Amino acid sequence: MSHAASLRRTRISLASDAGGKTTPFGWIGALTLHVAIVAATFITWQHKFDIVNETPFVPVDLVTLADTTNVAPTVREEPKIEPQEEFAAIQPDAATPPDIDAEPAPDENAKPLEQKPQSTPVPSPREETKPRPKKKKAPADPMAALLDQLTKPEAAPKNARVANQKVDGIGRMNAMTADLQAMIQGMIYKCWNPPAAAPHPERLIVTYRVFLNPDGSVAQAPQLTATSSSGDPYLQAAKDSAVRAIYVCAPYSLPASRYQQWRDITITFDPRKMAGVE
Amino acid sequence: MTRMSGWLLKIAGLLLLPLALSVPAAAQLHVDVTQGVMQPLPIAIPNFIAPGGGTGPSGADIAKVVRNDLASSGLFKSLDPASFIDPVRDINTPPNFGNWRVINAQALVTGQTAMQADGRLRVDFRLWDVYGEQQMVGLQYFTTPENWRRIAHLISDAIYERITGEKGYFDTRVVFISESGSALQRKKRLAVMDQDGANPIFLTRGDYLVLTPRFNPTAQMIAYMSYISGKPRVYMFDLESGRQEMLGNFPNMTFSPRFSPDGNKVVMTLEQNGNSDIYVMDLRNRSTVRLTTEPSIETSPSFSPDGTQIVFESDRGGSQQIYVMNADGSNPHRISYGEGRNGTPVWSPRGDLIAFTKQNGGAFRIGVMRPDGSGERVITDGWMDEGPTWAPNGRVLMFTRSARGGRGSQIWSVDISGHNLRRVPTPGDASDPAWSPLIQ
Repeated sequence: MSHAASLRRTRISLASDAGGKTTPFGWIGALTLHVAIVAATFITWQHKFDIVNETPFVPVDLVTLADTTNVAPTVREEPKIEPQEEFAAIQPDAATPPDIDAEPAPDENAKPLEQKPQSTPVPSPREETKPRPKKKKAPADPMAALLDQLTKPEAAPKNARVANQKVDGIGRMNAMTADLQAMIQGMIYKCWNPPAAAPHPERLIVTYRVFLNPDGSVAQAPQLTATSSSGDPYLQAAKDSAVRAIYVCAPYSLPASRYQQWRDITITFDPRKMAGVE
Repeated sequence: MTRMSGWLLKIAGLLLLPLALSVPAAAQLHVDVTQGVMQPLPIAIPNFIAPGGGTGPSGADIAKVVRNDLASSGLFKSLDPASFIDPVRDINTPPNFGNWRVINAQALVTGQTAMQADGRLRVDFRLWDVYGEQQMVGLQYFTTPENWRRIAHLISDAIYERITGEKGYFDTRVVFISESGSALQRKKRLAVMDQDGANPIFLTRGDYLVLTPRFNPTAQMIAYMSYISGKPRVYMFDLESGRQEMLGNFPNMTFSPRFSPDGNKVVMTLEQNGNSDIYVMDLRNRSTVRLTTEPSIETSPSFSPDGTQIVFESDRGGSQQIYVMNADGSNPHRISYGEGRNGTPVWSPRGDLIAFTKQNGGAFRIGVMRPDGSGERVITDGWMDEGPTWAPNGRVLMFTRSARGGRGSQIWSVDISGHNLRRVPTPGDASDPAWSPLIQ
């Protein structure tokens, strides 16, 4: 926001200089220009949001990611941290729909979290589309009704639960596991000898479900999750190379305290990039 | 603004809905691996055992050929037998995989030889997945004992195919021009050898010049250019009978022959009054059709693997470049637009690439491009690398590399990725290799 404000200031001062040289009639023009410029900055700002929204999920900045998970939304009794506007605006990361903090909430009587609409937790895209008002009797004062809605506390998402104990997030796209993801990625790529130079590498993407022992060793033979056409020697080689990578990299040294998060993982091996397919 | 971001969110959400729904029901940690490390697969190939006694070809020799084949591909690392801690005693019981994991072997080959009562050699082998702890391939071969090298190559092909998914290329031969003698009295002889340089055989005595030999699709016939009658003409050599014959009695010079993929035709260049054009001869009735009519030089034709197109070089545009036309000569169009001059195109047996010689900045190098001319890559970095020829699986190329200052030439091989550059052992200097198809 501060960036936008400064930008606006610069533009306005420039416009004022120009305005000084015009006739009184120019006032209207200048005003229009001002409005146009202010509006333009909004458009630019909005556009910037677009770019932010489209930025793919990059599991590097763990601090930032810690605010985005997809575990069932948990409602807190006393929100200690007010959602900051600027951060909230970046929140709607398309790749991480729900926005919920898995912090402990000691008090039982859950009161919905008070938030501005744009920082509202969005449990899932489906949920999002639901609350659209379909039929509505014309309100006496539409503006007042609108304001009313804006100030109305947001209802807790349907699947929200009251958190009464500390729960480490478990599951896919959970910020708590993003670091594990990166760790496993960092280990396994060194062990993977991808099927190179095979024609049509897009058909050689394989996914395995892997169960690990607490010591990081492979608990049982990795299971292919999707059955693909057999009899293709390239695919067979791709499957073998994936399984070899899983075994060769074991034992995986991962934080023992979080075994529940990594005991059961799925790994997708995608050779397209290695084959030079754009 | 708020409404807009909400609206955008919805769109984004809707777009991502299928993604969200495809998540496995159990909330698991999911890891995407899109990067790997290309490294040779460590493979242990202990000497083949001979439970029935030590007659016949040695199991150590067979294992050595297999080790050498796989290592030469650049995709395998044959582990040093001295590091093996678990001697193979019986290939029909699963090995103790732990003893092979200790030495970092990811694959293990065990084999045995036995002489049959009828005098034939029997070779069994098994390929084991050391980490998956299971057999990947198990095969058995019978042959005359002298043929043990071919068996070793066939085993290499089976292992290569199972692990890479590609067809192998070890049971193949290479025909080439063997060169000897001083620069002034250079003797050029037609020679053929196994792809690993073993069993070299000279097919001609060297009293006349021979050039550009090419295998037919059954690897039994070789077409080449020779001055056997004092004039440069295309000849055919039958490897089985040792017979050779002139291919069509044209009044002028014929050269750069190459077989069609079905082996029924030979496409070649015929020179008349300084103008070279491409002709195709049907070997069944010896009829000849002229395919190009330009006043420029057209030569080095090579069929696409489906036989519908021909790639060739031409200087019709001012400099030597690569063109593609239909097999009947229609629709010729230029495909090479890179720097320098490009010649000697050869279509990959896999069809996806064309290898060629690029002449640029005083150097000759081997390059590959797609049949539409896109994706050009130069894959060697010598001073004089020329005349590429494809392994039957389209993964490896051989070519002639000449040293600076005319100090002879050798045959080298390189992977189409540009890695794994190796010299192919030949008796003396050698040039103009042509790789055979897989031997049937």
